[in-house]
Amino acid sequence: MAPQTRKAAIVGGNRIPFARSNSAYAQASNQDMLTATLDGLVARFGLQGQRVGEVVAGAVLKHARDFNLTREAVLGSRLSAATPAYDVQQACGTGLEAAVLVANKIALGQIESGIAGGVDTTSDAPLAIHDEMRRVLIALGSARTVQQRLAALAGVRPGMFVPEAPRNAEPRTGLSMGEHQAITARQWEISREAQDELTVRSHHDLAAAYERGFFDDLVTPYLGLTRDENLRPDTSVEKLAKLKPVFGAGDPDATMTAGNSTPLTDGASAVLLASDEWAASRGLPVLAHLVDAQTAAVDYVHGGEGLLMAPAYAVPVLLARNGLTLQDFDYYEIHEAFASTVLATLKAWADPAFCKERLGLDAPLGSIDRSRLNVNGSSLAAGHPFAATGGRIVASLAKQLHEAGPGKRGLISVCAAGGQGVVAILES
Amino acid sequence: MSDWYRDLANSGVGSTLVKQLGLPRPAVLRRYEPGAPLLTGPAVVGTTGGSRLHEILIRLLEDAGVPVQPPAATDGERLGAVLLDATGVTGPADLSAAQEFLTPAVRRLGPSGRVLVLADPPSDAGSPAQAAARQALEGLVRSIAKELRNGATANLLVVPAGAEASVPGPVRFFLSGRSAYVDGQVVALTTADVPADEDEERPLAGRVAVVTGAARGIGAAIARVLSRDGAHVVAVDVPAAGDELAEVVNEIGGTAFQLDITAPDAAQRLIAHLRERRGGVDVVVHNAGITRDKLLVNMDAARWHAVMAVNLQAQLDLTQALLDAEGVLRPGARVVCVSSQSGIAGNRGQTNYAASKAGVIGMVRAWAPAFAERGATINAVAPGFIVTEMTARMPFGTREIGSRINSLQQGGLPVDVAETIAWLAQPSAAGVNGQVVRVCGQSFLGA
Amino acid sequence: MARTVLGSAPSMPALFARAAVTARGRGGGLPDTRLARTGVRVEAADLAAYDRVCGFPLADTLPATYPHVLAFPLQLALMSDRSFPLALPGLVHVRNRVDVLRPVRVDEALDLEVWAERFARHPRGATVDLCASVSAGGAEVWRSRSTYLSRGAQAPEGAPQSDLSLSVGDLARPVATWQVPDDAGRRYARVSGDVNPIHLSGLTAKAFGFKRAIAHGMWVQARALAALTGRLPDAMAVDGVFRKPLLLPSTVTLATDPVAGGGWDLAVRNAGSGAEHLLGTVRPL
Repeated sequence: MAPQTRKAAIVGGNRIPFARSNSAYAQASNQDMLTATLDGLVARFGLQGQRVGEVVAGAVLKHARDFNLTREAVLGSRLSAATPAYDVQQACGTGLEAAVLVANKIALGQIESGIAGGVDTTSDAPLAIHDEMRRVLIALGSARTVQQRLAALAGVRPGMFVPEAPRNAEPRTGLSMGEHQAITARQWEISREAQDELTVRSHHDLAAAYERGFFDDLVTPYLGLTRDENLRPDTSVEKLAKLKPVFGAGDPDATMTAGNSTPLTDGASAVLLASDEWAASRGLPVLAHLVDAQTAAVDYVHGGEGLLMAPAYAVPVLLARNGLTLQDFDYYEIHEAFASTVLATLKAWADPAFCKERLGLDAPLGSIDRSRLNVNGSSLAAGHPFAATGGRIVASLAKQLHEAGPGKRGLISVCAAGGQGVVAILES
Repeated sequence: MSDWYRDLANSGVGSTLVKQLGLPRPAVLRRYEPGAPLLTGPAVVGTTGGSRLHEILIRLLEDAGVPVQPPAATDGERLGAVLLDATGVTGPADLSAAQEFLTPAVRRLGPSGRVLVLADPPSDAGSPAQAAARQALEGLVRSIAKELRNGATANLLVVPAGAEASVPGPVRFFLSGRSAYVDGQVVALTTADVPADEDEERPLAGRVAVVTGAARGIGAAIARVLSRDGAHVVAVDVPAAGDELAEVVNEIGGTAFQLDITAPDAAQRLIAHLRERRGGVDVVVHNAGITRDKLLVNMDAARWHAVMAVNLQAQLDLTQALLDAEGVLRPGARVVCVSSQSGIAGNRGQTNYAASKAGVIGMVRAWAPAFAERGATINAVAPGFIVTEMTARMPFGTREIGSRINSLQQGGLPVDVAETIAWLAQPSAAGVNGQVVRVCGQSFLGA
Repeated sequence: MARTVLGSAPSMPALFARAAVTARGRGGGLPDTRLARTGVRVEAADLAAYDRVCGFPLADTLPATYPHVLAFPLQLALMSDRSFPLALPGLVHVRNRVDVLRPVRVDEALDLEVWAERFARHPRGATVDLCASVSAGGAEVWRSRSTYLSRGAQAPEGAPQSDLSLSVGDLARPVATWQVPDDAGRRYARVSGDVNPIHLSGLTAKAFGFKRAIAHGMWVQARALAALTGRLPDAMAVDGVFRKPLLLPSTVTLATDPVAGGGWDLAVRNAGSGAEHLLGTVRPL
């Protein structure tokens, strides 16, 4: 018998302020940050010693010792030690995908409550030992005789002592995400001015949201940081115009700067999801429901599609399944990996050729009311600790929808490394 | 925070040294622990002719398992408490009975013992002579408090006719370790509906308490004590203190609510939170406070406004909003406002702070009748020198002088303030309304 | 025709040494000799090491370029023999063709045979093709033709013109950027046995007239095929011409274009100058 499905409620969220790389959280590990974030959520919702159905979280940059990161964070938190947990990783889509996974289990009645989260540090990133050195050490470990050990050690050469840092590059193309996006920005003719304008709006909207106390019940300070470190409330198009392009090497018309691209960031987020009954029995609010979600992937290696364009493919599938048009939303949350990512995605949806040839649609999805886009700022201002971004967006949008009143609808779009995209619909 | 001098004075060598130098010897105060006996020794109960409350006191002591000795007993055992029912005095001549009873009894009082005198209010005396006698008791008690050593305290309860039911809760408080740092105080009771039974170990069970400024110091102690007494604590502090707030809350099992109480919509947000998450509130502790010290001649508008906004205006606004909000402030609600010794005595460099804290006292007194009508109470607690992280940063001399100029010769702890607040939040404190209770060890300032 | 079956793979450093000391005074036509080995087994650890260096996944079938590693020692033995008319030091690999007739499983016993043919004229000298054929169970499964240029050498009278032309599309869109480290030659030498000094270090390469060490052409071709893993036909003809030497270290780009009917055109170029290192094609068979 197929179980009845129900829609998972978003009760609330918590995150720590996002820090710039090698700054406030330079000494904090992924586990430290995720634990602090869970504890903030526990404090906000009075979950001390309680067992939630499941905690699902992940990190993009992970140490080998963090093989069970989320469970370890749960054990270090104020949640009941009998709370199960598992790790997920879908690059920058991790946080949203974690929320979708928890919501699906709630929808199926397999759990009544769950926490979805994500964390990333670029300051405490894993350094791997040189691959050949690693093999020598493995051989040494499995050697049984002195001769075998000596033979293994004979393979050591000086160069092997240099550790290998993780590269922010796609393994199959060798290009950084920024270089990939520079190709997309050029292809879609996204102007420097448009990117800078979007960036300024992100900073101003995030600052305004802080000012009106919007984040009072979404953020818990950590290690002396009370607001996102990257936030520049006083930035302007004029200031941003002075920055030199950093991506699109060799292109005299390169448009992407350190300003209109998200910086490397450290941080963590968590979202509390539950069945309506679970929330009601504890006097907890239901901010919104997670209605549906969709993932997509594109062939950015040989297929000629932009690395970060997958959400453009995921959204029409999601819209079709839910009988909605792109204009049927009160709020849009399009993750600002780069300003040009947002603009290229919007341009693609309005482009008849792209919608017909790539998406197989009869008519373009059209444009959106830009005043409904990322109304409380997004990653350009807040920063983007890869796996933590999904949780930030889900909690913020759910609260925004709740404030707007019942029946309001929001669309989330998150692009991810590997040519992937995760999108979802929330409804209050 | 340890009191190095108290520890020294109570150590073997230090004790001798302190005695020979004729220095004060601050005692280790008896503080409340759940399950501890009400008193550490037997009690004696005396009267001055009239004995309106005598029976109530005897029953209370017996219920608490405290042996009650006849006033004339002279065996060697140290007394835990000396209680005097001084109601019914008609003129100064009746006071000699008080002296006759107290002199031998107080001589036998043990460490952290209690002297508690219950009297009629001077204001409704039938004659000037009666009023004089009633008022005289205040001078008597305050002076006993100054003479007592070894952590013993003396306090006065003023009990109008008809307020007898209000007596047991306050008496228990003043006898217990909860009142460790409350000394030389006069608390007037009123007639009120006092719930018959109360779980003495968890008097706040099932109640919801809001504590502002709960992230650290006295606020955190208040949250801990209210939680220990059974309340679910909604701990409020500014978003910037959210991490410390979460730690406190997770330790006690409450909920954290990050809020700048001076925000225009702060009251509405807190009320919405209480309504949605808790269905209402029973106890509100206005603890959040800031200092922005400057001599008046150097005072600027920003310092003045910031202190007034947090320390006074926010208390006014939130209290009014709670009174206005239908069904949020539950029947029998308790509002406790944190004032300050500075608000009573004034303090150099604290014109803004002292004004705000004095304002709190005015607010509490003015609102008390309206609260009484709802079966609720509103009171103020005025801490004296309380040892916190803030005082730890004071210069050594200032800190040492500040902590010694009181009858108990030491600074109080945040928990002392918290215990007093938790007592005022109890159902059995229904008869305490519009009062200002100083938690100052009978400070010499503004006494 | 003389056919010699060897019991084991010859030692390649020894062959390189022998070729070096006997480089002078060579000439004449190609020897009519074939060298062979039978029942050759692939060592899993060797294959894994090769896969890591070239970017192939370790799988149950051999990468298209792997049998070359098995056959190369025999080809080297042939070229280092005194009867071979061209001096081994200085020979440059200019073209490499591989036909995969069917996927070759890791656990198959393989029979190898190599020979030299097609001594041809080239504007800058002469070329010769070293051929290899790999059979399993009596049927040919794989064959290759590696063309080497000997600068200044003379092909015999009446020899044909060397054919190094390969037609590919415009390959305008790079799909990947590789940072090729300075030890790329040494790493490939370790897994292939091709210890030609021009690949090993700047010093040894200078002795043969190169500014720096250069990457093995076979590595470049293998790395490009590895990038197309999962998108290649089972049976295919792989062709590649090696243009400018890939000096180590370098940053290069890979461009790929799918072609109608299946298969790919590809190019590996210097990321900065755009100089072509490899032009290649893959066509289904």
